[in-house]
Amino acid sequence: MNIKDKMRKRLKLSRPSLRARARPPKHRSVCGSQFSAANLPGVLQLQNCTDCGHVQYPPAELCGACLGGTLIYKETACTGTLLAQSQLHHSLWEYFKRRIKRAPWPIASVQLDVGPVAIVHLTELDLDTGDRVKVFSHSDASRSVVLIAVPAATDITTPELRQAVIVGMQLDKSAERLKGV
Amino acid sequence: MKDYSGVVLTTPISMGYARQSPHGAAWFVGSVLREMISAAGLTKKDINGFSVSSFSLGIDSAVALTQHFGLCVRWLEQANVGGVSGILTLRRAARAVQCGEADIVACIGGDGAAHRSFEHTAAHFSNWSTDAAFPYGAAGPNGPFSLITAHYMERYQAQREDFARICLDQRYNANHFPGALLGHKKLSLSDYLNARPIAGPLHLFDCVMPCAGGEGFLVMSEERARQLKLPAVKILAADECHNAHADDPVQERGGWTQYIEGLYNRAAVGPKDVDFLQTYDDYPVISMLQMEDLGFCGKGEAPEFVGQTDMRFDGSGPGLNKLPHNTSGGQLSCGQAGAAAGFLGVTESLRQLTGQSQQNQVSNARLGLVSGYGMVNYDRGICTAAAMLQGVDR
Ligand SMILES: [Zn+2]
Repeated sequence: MNIKDKMRKRLKLSRPSLRARARPPKHRSVCGSQFSAANLPGVLQLQNCTDCGHVQYPPAELCGACLGGTLIYKETACTGTLLAQSQLHHSLWEYFKRRIKRAPWPIASVQLDVGPVAIVHLTELDLDTGDRVKVFSHSDASRSVVLIAVPAATDITTPELRQAVIVGMQLDKSAERLKGV
Repeated sequence: MKDYSGVVLTTPISMGYARQSPHGAAWFVGSVLREMISAAGLTKKDINGFSVSSFSLGIDSAVALTQHFGLCVRWLEQANVGGVSGILTLRRAARAVQCGEADIVACIGGDGAAHRSFEHTAAHFSNWSTDAAFPYGAAGPNGPFSLITAHYMERYQAQREDFARICLDQRYNANHFPGALLGHKKLSLSDYLNARPIAGPLHLFDCVMPCAGGEGFLVMSEERARQLKLPAVKILAADECHNAHADDPVQERGGWTQYIEGLYNRAAVGPKDVDFLQTYDDYPVISMLQMEDLGFCGKGEAPEFVGQTDMRFDGSGPGLNKLPHNTSGGQLSCGQAGAAAGFLGVTESLRQLTGQSQQNQVSNARLGLVSGYGMVNYDRGICTAAAMLQGVDR
């Protein structure tokens, strides 16, 4: 095989659609990686400004309210209100492409009671705008933290209960390559 | 705010539109420059101001391109603000010419479309997007805009048929504009309604097709344009505002509300006076927000407004209210060529106002409003800009 054919074969084999196991997007910024690290324990940890008390998300290096530089991750109230939801039928990422082949993927935006708006994975399709929800963090199959919203009545106080939600969504697993045509 | 007297925009160029392209952003920017100086009867030496907008230049910046293209300039700008890059650039360049910092500024937006490049742009669009939007389904802009569209539909009882009004009239316009990538295809209401779902309420024809392409125009003194015998356009007023209404939980208005009244006052015209409107149409709901915030109708009234309004370039539709809108087909029919999409409304306005449009010419177009929107840093587009343009009498 000459070099040109080798390169072509390598390019073909590196296509995400040919991978046996696809995982969710792993890449995060430095602040995003710190958010992932801070959220390994507990339900939901968000940045709190020690100067003005502002709670912020998405994470940043400075406080978006007072521009102060001392932000610490603290366990934060996880309650919020559903703002908008939609089901994705198309994705740019192989993991979600495979999941969407089985069922559309639901996402939502949530106004957290502590202030920020968060985009989240949604577990429940029967929710309406304005419904109360809880949002918790979870380290997904790429070992990066994502946020999950569940109906407010769901008990998510223990790691086991939260893990049960994750297993139900199959978020703990990579997506296997579908066999056949 | 000081007016923009003595300065004009000329020589609109739109070129190289393709679904995929082996060429990089520099090829598109440089090709627009070549076409532009040739069309204006200039040489590279005449260009002493250079503004570049692009998402895919990689490690090169605008100054690297001056060496690539053999340009020596005394005024340089790189405006990476996507959907407002055209209007933001024309404002800056006009001031540079007005203040004598540059004589002729070439303003260019261009982007390539290599295999899988859109996936890369979407995954790495901004830190907040990478950390807090992309991981949720990796839908690119379709994710946040499906939420914005769903919210608007619920809050203001908008229907898919209302969005179809915008998409269908734009496709009609594109059918008369040879440069539009989808201009050879007709689009019917049933095509629109039966299209495959993409994200929530968004279906195929609500979404732009990412593509490669380049757009540009020249900014110079009115006197210079007259000497060069170039058809030209004046800026009656222009403005911009970014990250307005940050406390709205879901976006349903943009920064236009902060300046549109003053813009109309400075231009001494109102929305009823314009011969056409060019909005930034990454999704039809965003064109609706602009119609509302630019004063063509009240907040939440756009579904009714588009129902009564004929937005075709030639006024051939049944609507009694006539407002030619996105007269080249907009991004929804031309394709979204990265940052060049922020120039599309400006170049189309220049062609219309100088009588250089071909089959899609709006008859007697004298006054046009062009609006920009863009940069989904997290959950919404945070840039807005608008300009009122008028053809110079020849
Ligand atoms: Zn603070």
